[in-house]
Amino acid sequence: MTKPNTGEIDPQESARQELRSYGIGFVASLLLTVGAFAAALSDLPTVWKIIAICAAALLQIVTHMRNFLHLSFSVEQSREDLLLVLFSAMLLAIMAGGTWYIMSDLGGRMHGNSHEDRSTSLP
Amino acid sequence: MSADISPIFGKLDWSVTPYTDLLREVNSSTIVGAGAASVLVLGAIAAVALLTWMRWWGPLYRNWLTSADAKKIGIMYIALALVMMARGIIEGFVIRTHQSTALGTLTQPESGLVSPDHFAQLFSTHGTIMIFFVAMPLLIGLINFVLPQQLGARDMAFPVLNQVSLGLTAAGAGLVMISLLVGKFGTGGWTMYPPYTGIDYSPGEGVDYWLWAILISGVGSTLTGMNFAVTIFKERAPGMHFMRMPLFCWTSLCVAIMLIYAMPALTVSSGMLALDRYAGSHFFTNEAGGNMMNYANIFWMFGHPEVYILILPAFGVFSEISSTFSGKRLYGYTSLVIASMSIAVISFTVWLHHFFTMGQSAGVNIAFGIATMVIGIPTGVKIYDWMATMWRGRIRVTAPIVYLTGFFLLFVIGGLSGIILANPSIDYQVHNSTFLVAHFHNVIIPGVLYGMLAGIHYWFPKAFGFRLDEDWGRRTALLFVGGFVFTFLPLYVLGLMGLPRRSPTFQNPDFMPWMYIASFGAVLMLCALASLAWTFWTSYRNRLALAVPGGDPWNGSSLEWSTPAPVPEWTFPHIPHVAARDDWGECKRSGDPWKAPQDYVDIEMPANTAHGLLIAATASALGFAMVWHIWWLAALSFLAIPALLAWRGMQVIEPRIVPAGEVEEADRRFRTMMADLAPATRADEETERNRGRPDLSEFAG
Amino acid sequence: MSERNLYPGLNLGSGHGEAHEQAETTVFGFWVFVMSDLIIFGILFASYASYLDPIGLAGGPGPSDLFDIRSVAIQTAFLLLGGVAYGGVSLAVKYDHPRGKIIVWLLVCAALGAGFLFFEIKDFITQAGKGGVPQASGWLSSYWTLVGLHGVHVFSGILWILAMIAQVIWRGVDDVVKVRLSMLGVFWHFLDLVWIAIFSFVFLVPLS
Repeated sequence: MTKPNTGEIDPQESARQELRSYGIGFVASLLLTVGAFAAALSDLPTVWKIIAICAAALLQIVTHMRNFLHLSFSVEQSREDLLLVLFSAMLLAIMAGGTWYIMSDLGGRMHGNSHEDRSTSLP
Repeated sequence: MSADISPIFGKLDWSVTPYTDLLREVNSSTIVGAGAASVLVLGAIAAVALLTWMRWWGPLYRNWLTSADAKKIGIMYIALALVMMARGIIEGFVIRTHQSTALGTLTQPESGLVSPDHFAQLFSTHGTIMIFFVAMPLLIGLINFVLPQQLGARDMAFPVLNQVSLGLTAAGAGLVMISLLVGKFGTGGWTMYPPYTGIDYSPGEGVDYWLWAILISGVGSTLTGMNFAVTIFKERAPGMHFMRMPLFCWTSLCVAIMLIYAMPALTVSSGMLALDRYAGSHFFTNEAGGNMMNYANIFWMFGHPEVYILILPAFGVFSEISSTFSGKRLYGYTSLVIASMSIAVISFTVWLHHFFTMGQSAGVNIAFGIATMVIGIPTGVKIYDWMATMWRGRIRVTAPIVYLTGFFLLFVIGGLSGIILANPSIDYQVHNSTFLVAHFHNVIIPGVLYGMLAGIHYWFPKAFGFRLDEDWGRRTALLFVGGFVFTFLPLYVLGLMGLPRRSPTFQNPDFMPWMYIASFGAVLMLCALASLAWTFWTSYRNRLALAVPGGDPWNGSSLEWSTPAPVPEWTFPHIPHVAARDDWGECKRSGDPWKAPQDYVDIEMPANTAHGLLIAATASALGFAMVWHIWWLAALSFLAIPALLAWRGMQVIEPRIVPAGEVEEADRRFRTMMADLAPATRADEETERNRGRPDLSEFAG
Repeated sequence: MSERNLYPGLNLGSGHGEAHEQAETTVFGFWVFVMSDLIIFGILFASYASYLDPIGLAGGPGPSDLFDIRSVAIQTAFLLLGGVAYGGVSLAVKYDHPRGKIIVWLLVCAALGAGFLFFEIKDFITQAGKGGVPQASGWLSSYWTLVGLHGVHVFSGILWILAMIAQVIWRGVDDVVKVRLSMLGVFWHFLDLVWIAIFSFVFLVPLS
């Protein structure tokens, strides 16, 4: 059975807030996307490009989580949803980071790999 | 052997059965192969015959296969696991026997009961079955049965999804079983490392059987993890704060989290291997940019958390039984919680220790070696906590306590051998020898197996209304202890003497005394299996004397013991309001725990549905079709799955209402019976006088 | 002023009674499932990085040979708009707008998703024509699988949208349908989220 809005929330007010949230999210995402593409196509040194792209990606992901998925640190949000995301992020960091650590170490010890890598590998 | 693919039958032809192998050449290996297939066929025929003769098809369908009740689903998981365990133990026995006959010479290097290829299939199916189709279903089944009851909930958060998970697991098991009769299984061990398992070196159907069994059941397990987690987060009874949950619920939460985050890794590694085999991709090939180490890396990102998934429920069971059968409150609740969560999280940081020897720099090995040693600490804390729980308790040496004692004595050895292996330098010496085989059996058997069997003993009366025979239970436990000791402790010695794992043959005659001891152990294991079966059978025959309708045969302190035995479908007439940890124990301390509720209400239960069964059928068809390249069937069954989902989505499904009157009638009968039942003291616990109503004056808790 | 959010995504609010309560469990459960999906993608990303070297490229075509930044930008635009468009669906459900409006917004999302897929598939075909098939190297296998899996998710999302349109027409916007639309919203936003990582780490970084 569809239960109509019982009028506990002022639809005008909260709708406006929610629309604002989507609007801000959209504009921020747009800017960050354009920024990332611009950085990639620019003449910056490679390392700076990568940092810019990564930063833009991270910021845009956070924007999506806040403005579209309505996650937040404030008390107004069910703690469990946020905890889940943070825990997932931690495990992802371990798994992806660990993979990168292991595979690049292995790659550095293989035939035909550039010797420049040696200086950055662990003893 | 033909390379032709028929459009209708795919790669299937008459040469796929072990019977054609037997016809081609009669030797011990082909006899064993044909024998195994025959056991499968005869077993299936016997099952069908029994169901038909007893007219059980209807009740089976109506009361079990279409039920979305977590308690029933749990029992079905355990039944599946026990059937697969029979195969797994017998395979272990054949492996031991083969190795006892496998002493070759340099001139005649190969000998033994079975051929090398057959031996390779044996150790592959043995490992795959034991981990994915015995240990996982056992623990998932136990959690399914116990968790909602301990939380004060009626069911899991997603009952029909639960059913689907069971169906997918069964489909995977079915694929492994059918490989006995149709075709061969893969020969790459339970880990199936490429490039050996790639299409170039394993062109047959064997590895595909493994892949589809794993992929299909893997989806089921991932969904189960999600189901458990949401149930614990959202479905706890009012007042059941996290720190009031029984330890078994905490370990279940850890298991859920680990399933959610570890199973995807297995999906990725298996998916990539499948793409290599089916689509010609180059993830793990020798050439064109493949990187076989990536498989080991991703697989063990699953594999390590997996073994903690296996052990944590056993730890949960030990927490429950150490306190109940000592008549004492669990010692160190907070430390046990922290230890469990630590184990869960740290288990994601150690996976490289499974491939220390595969070429990384020392620095990488050291990092993971240290993490591996660290994870031993919380486990040690737990063992001390259980010992402290039992210290100065009034211990009853029931079958679960025999298992717990075996665990205390034996698991620690396995844990220590793990710490030894955690040192990369030492690991270089013993990696992939039977020292490693001994280590992991040493932690899995005294850990997982004893824990699960103890749990089954402990909660069996709640499920079926009667206890299991204690004497036979203890005999079974002792046989499993003896079986482990004689089978696997010699393997430590053999590993140090240089015997590699998975050896179809060897040339050192000094191995033989240890081989014979290990074979004796394997015979004890078979006896233990028989004893387990006999325990169930004799208890069933004696069920009236063993009946405990009062529902609390062990004087327990958690919520599940407040209900009758067998527990009714709706578990609780009212969702309990929890006031403390060990709430049922508190009720017993503060007066009349079996007081009837004020009133009764209608109870909503999930409606029966065939959805899980249908998904299981389509998944089985999909898996079999993909293994044998029967593309039309694969496409059809693949499309059927979203079709089933869409069709179900269109239906408005009402829950089934159990009327308040029915609940009241059943409940009042229970309360009246309780009022008349004589309480049983601890001394009476194993006798007929135990009717499930304990003596409250003896409850210290 | 605003209520507590019980689950991710735009909450229906207590005005929707049982639907809002049921959504807490169901949408949270879906959120958990999405986390496991995220791990699959995460591992594929990490693998992609490990194949992104001369050995993984195996002498075959590489990022600079195959990637069309313009097309990637177009695809990004489609998905971003598609993601924001789902806000239209969520708001329409929450404020009890007529069924037709919900269906229109759903169709907008599906169309934008289809637009994304059109350009992506076009790219894949072009790349295959230049020898950039998944069977050519480890890097290509990884590229096709990672981006392809995301595309499969988008396609599944479109199918789900169509199934929801059928349900809205057939059984109306009842409690169960509202909860499902909430889940679909979480899924749909996640498609865009994963795409951010893809255009950044699969396309832009290698090209830099």
